[in-house]
Amino acid sequence: MIGSQESLRIIYAAALQQVMEKCLEHFSEQNSGLKFELKGVGSREGAKRLLAGEKYDIIALADQALFAELLVPDLVENYLVFAADQIVIGYNHSSRGSKEITPENWVDMLLKPQVSFARSDHHLVPRGYRTLMVWQLAEKFYSRPGLYSTLEAACIPYSTYPKSLDLSSALFKGKVDYAFLYSSEAIQLGLPYIALPSKINLSNPAYANFYDQASVTVESKIPGKNVIIHGNPIEFAIGLSKNSQYPELAQSFADLLTGPEGSSILDECGLIPC
Amino acid sequence: MNEVKVSESELTIPIERSIQAELLLLLGQKPSHGYELIQRLNEADFKSGEADAATVYRNLRRMDKDGLIKSHWEVGESGPGRRLYKLTSLGEESLKVWARYIAQQKAKLENFIQAYFQFEESLTEREDGVNLT
Repeated sequence: MIGSQESLRIIYAAALQQVMEKCLEHFSEQNSGLKFELKGVGSREGAKRLLAGEKYDIIALADQALFAELLVPDLVENYLVFAADQIVIGYNHSSRGSKEITPENWVDMLLKPQVSFARSDHHLVPRGYRTLMVWQLAEKFYSRPGLYSTLEAACIPYSTYPKSLDLSSALFKGKVDYAFLYSSEAIQLGLPYIALPSKINLSNPAYANFYDQASVTVESKIPGKNVIIHGNPIEFAIGLSKNSQYPELAQSFADLLTGPEGSSILDECGLIPC
Repeated sequence: MNEVKVSESELTIPIERSIQAELLLLLGQKPSHGYELIQRLNEADFKSGEADAATVYRNLRRMDKDGLIKSHWEVGESGPGRRLYKLTSLGEESLKVWARYIAQQKAKLENFIQAYFQFEESLTEREDGVNLT
């Protein structure tokens, strides 16, 4: 039983903001009077907060691989994959070149001098390192040597909009012409987007071996040390803290997210329930 | 004479129509989770086209709801837990119906090809006759 001054603490990928709000709406109906403490973060940053000693009952991240890399077995015993997504190029109606850009010409459109595009910080957010992986895969897929470096040089510095919400907000307000996002984020924001070929958008497990050829160096859990991570299909996962004070409630919430109600919510929010 | 062009996509059977049969067969061979099914489907000789994650997961949910397959969460020993799908007895019946339907379609298509080749032969003979006169 949870006390009146206590709350169930949930840390989650900021890309899951709407999903979490809707799940909590349902969960609160079934558990009236229950209090929640929500923390939307970059998933990599979130996992490191747990490593630094912050306490949460439920952890929902945008990359299932983060659990194995940073949280299992010390902080989380096991974790479930509950949704999939893909990387797309979001834009707004005032984006320069928005009437001409297509899935075939996006590289050349983004590299036009007057066009601006941005990505998130790869040290904090899976979307950041996944964007770099998409660029590496695009270099191979389109047989354009040097494309990865060219895109990296032309992109707005990642420190300008480091987190997912910063970047989505900048795109929504028209501060940037194009941004690399999850398709679910573009759908939730009501923004148009360009879908990329499945061989590079990190959506299809059939191309897992091809995605694996992409790799990005990020800060590891040991301060000052780096780790190389490889491309894989985009999968979101949920785990429960081994130290949760309310394991039964945490499990009920996970059951909701991974059950039929959660599937409908994920669907509404543009994610693919797994 | 106006040349009528038919694109290849117009001639392709929509993937949504046949993917359920393909998934039922793969699950009949062995229970699998969605991630593995997508990989197995794309490697299968009988796939109708590239199977994307959204299409596969949507069809799995639909078939689960219809009782053709059943699922439960399987916690991974060294990796993530995933929903594992199995064929039900209703699914086995549905797979049999699909197999009969596909066999009938195959016979009809073979009859069509045979009739077409006869027609093509008759055209060639007619053209040869015209050239001789």
